[in-house]
Amino acid sequence: MTAAVAQPSMDDELESVSALAQVAPDFAGIYQEHSKAIFYLCLRMLGEEARAEDATHDVFLKAWRHRDNFEGRSSWRTWLYRIAINHCRNLKQTWAERHISTTDDEFVLQNTVPDTESPLRVLEIKELGERIQATLERLPDEYRMLLLLVADEEMSYDEVAALTQQSSDAVRGKLHRARKAFAAEFRKTE
Amino acid sequence: MKKQQVKFQPRQQTQEELDESQTLKKAEAAREFASAEEVLRFDAEGIEVPAEVEERLAESIRKEAPPPEGSGGWWRKMFL
Repeated sequence: MTAAVAQPSMDDELESVSALAQVAPDFAGIYQEHSKAIFYLCLRMLGEEARAEDATHDVFLKAWRHRDNFEGRSSWRTWLYRIAINHCRNLKQTWAERHISTTDDEFVLQNTVPDTESPLRVLEIKELGERIQATLERLPDEYRMLLLLVADEEMSYDEVAALTQQSSDAVRGKLHRARKAFAAEFRKTE
Repeated sequence: MKKQQVKFQPRQQTQEELDESQTLKKAEAAREFASAEEVLRFDAEGIEVPAEVEERLAESIRKEAPPPEGSGGWWRKMFL
């Protein structure tokens, strides 16, 4: 007696494919590959998960609407980051959250402790997200964005420079100050 | 000579031992990062995009996308 092998029905196969893959098969792969990076940038730029969810949705919807304009001169990642950065900036302006930007370069450098070589110690991993958010919010927007972009290992300095419309040398210089500022502010959150 | 009575008592942890065990527990969770980027990478690894975002995106695209060719619109073919 041969055992009956259950063949997956067409309905089962459709269910196993994501809703996005059903409506936009070519775009679903792009979402799968880059959504985590875009969501993380939005989360740390906007500071709230619900806002980051909305922003991620809006960024990918904009990208889908304008996908024909993507000329391949940059990577999808860079293009999506550009949309995300502009979107987050617009949102923050709309929410009148600009008061945070009182943390200009001078302020940060004045408050930077000299001991920045020692490692950043974290005792409670569960609190890490809150500490990172609190730290990033104390930094100028540009520092915050540069750190988030450079932390993405898929982004080169040159790509970050192109994305933020400045030279690679300028990025390196600002990153040096951004790292120091981050370390100083991070220690204050202990 | 009176025999000293020794009562068995379950050994209780001293405050010092409790403190030490708390410190060890914290040390297990402790982690050191060499740079800001390392902290952010570690943080990002633990973040997942909620599935609702993809579902909402699919729904938004479905509303905007033209219907696939050959689906529906039979009446259109009839009259055009």
